[in-house]
Amino acid sequence: MLKMLKLRPALLHKTGSQVAQELRACIGCNECLLACPALTEPITIDVLNRETVSGTISAPVARFAQACYQCGACVSPCPVGLHRDAMVMWLKIRLLARDEE
Amino acid sequence: MKASSESGYSLFFIEWSRSRMASIMVALILVALGIAAFVWALRFSGDASPDSITGYSFAISGTFFMLLAAVRYALYRRSRKRAVGKLNGSLHWHMAFGSIGLVLLCLHSFGNLNPRSGTYALWGMIALVISGIIGRTIDHFTPRKIAKAASRALTAQGEDRVESLTQNLQSIVVHNKQEIRTFKPDNNPRSMVDSSFGTPLPWAGANRQASPAGNAKDRGVLQTSWDMAYISLEETPQEISRDAVQYRFVPDRKSALARPGALLPGAYDHINELQQVEKALRHEQYLRYVVRYWRSFHILLAIVTVGLTLWHLEFAMTLLIPVWLHH
Repeated sequence: MLKMLKLRPALLHKTGSQVAQELRACIGCNECLLACPALTEPITIDVLNRETVSGTISAPVARFAQACYQCGACVSPCPVGLHRDAMVMWLKIRLLARDEE
Repeated sequence: MKASSESGYSLFFIEWSRSRMASIMVALILVALGIAAFVWALRFSGDASPDSITGYSFAISGTFFMLLAAVRYALYRRSRKRAVGKLNGSLHWHMAFGSIGLVLLCLHSFGNLNPRSGTYALWGMIALVISGIIGRTIDHFTPRKIAKAASRALTAQGEDRVESLTQNLQSIVVHNKQEIRTFKPDNNPRSMVDSSFGTPLPWAGANRQASPAGNAKDRGVLQTSWDMAYISLEETPQEISRDAVQYRFVPDRKSALARPGALLPGAYDHINELQQVEKALRHEQYLRYVVRYWRSFHILLAIVTVGLTLWHLEFAMTLLIPVWLHH
């Protein structure tokens, strides 16, 4: 409980190249998806990783990106210390860009 | 970038999953049953009070649902036996049980809101459920705002806009600096300004005092690092306003700087854009803190409410135990 109240600097977004670099380090253990309270349907980590950086965004991944509320529950279970919340933020930015197109 | 089946990022996106529908249906049914029992107790029971049989039933069932809301989700989050996508269902049941518990405990009060321990516990629960509703609203709308702020801080290619702007600004400064080397200013202090930003060169005053005639060599351009350090997004009190009309650098027609292309334009635009990006970053950080600390506030409120409920239970037991022992 006290850990939650500790004032930590909020991690800001990551750039596209940083996201791509993190995705290359992902070992695909699924721990982030298991810890996610926003994910409503089973999607696989490889599909999510593939669609995060570039290319088409499928309907389930787009729904997940919209549902994600950046709680950060996915960060602490990651065994390699990646920031899935920042990766999903990148997906959100891509969805926003699609809105503007 | 385009998906064939999904549109962009909708503000009012709600996913009607099976668990969400089921939890809403169960909550509505149980709340309706509770209200029906309440109406029955008011009309046909002689004793419609918190310490009646109906009142105790509401208290026990309401506490049960509140405990279920608190414990079930917390345990499931920490459980190792989870499947992808199931935690969301658990969150929906957490909200449903919390709402059912609050309604049943409100019914348990039978409108008796005197300042007693039970009333404090009830207000605590109302605050807890309201904070949960506000939290879900924040969770729904804030990430889109964060994404918008983040997109303002990134270039179209997804790279850091601050870095890109700084590089452009530096190239403008270097270019203008090279041009100003060739520029022979007169003794008029108004011409002794930094062409990039329209501010007077900081050594202008000192030089005027030391050598009124002016020495072009002494007024040589400083190193890049010094110049970059001088660029600040915020004006210090010591800094002369960049926008002051008298300090704007306007080369006269005969000046070498007046020829087309001598000065790269856009330094002001870049600084303005940098300020916009900085504002977007601050906004993003603020929204992230709101999301993070509202959740902590909700948990803190839950702990306070548990304490108030235990206080009320202890108070209720001091009244009930003598009655039970007497019977």
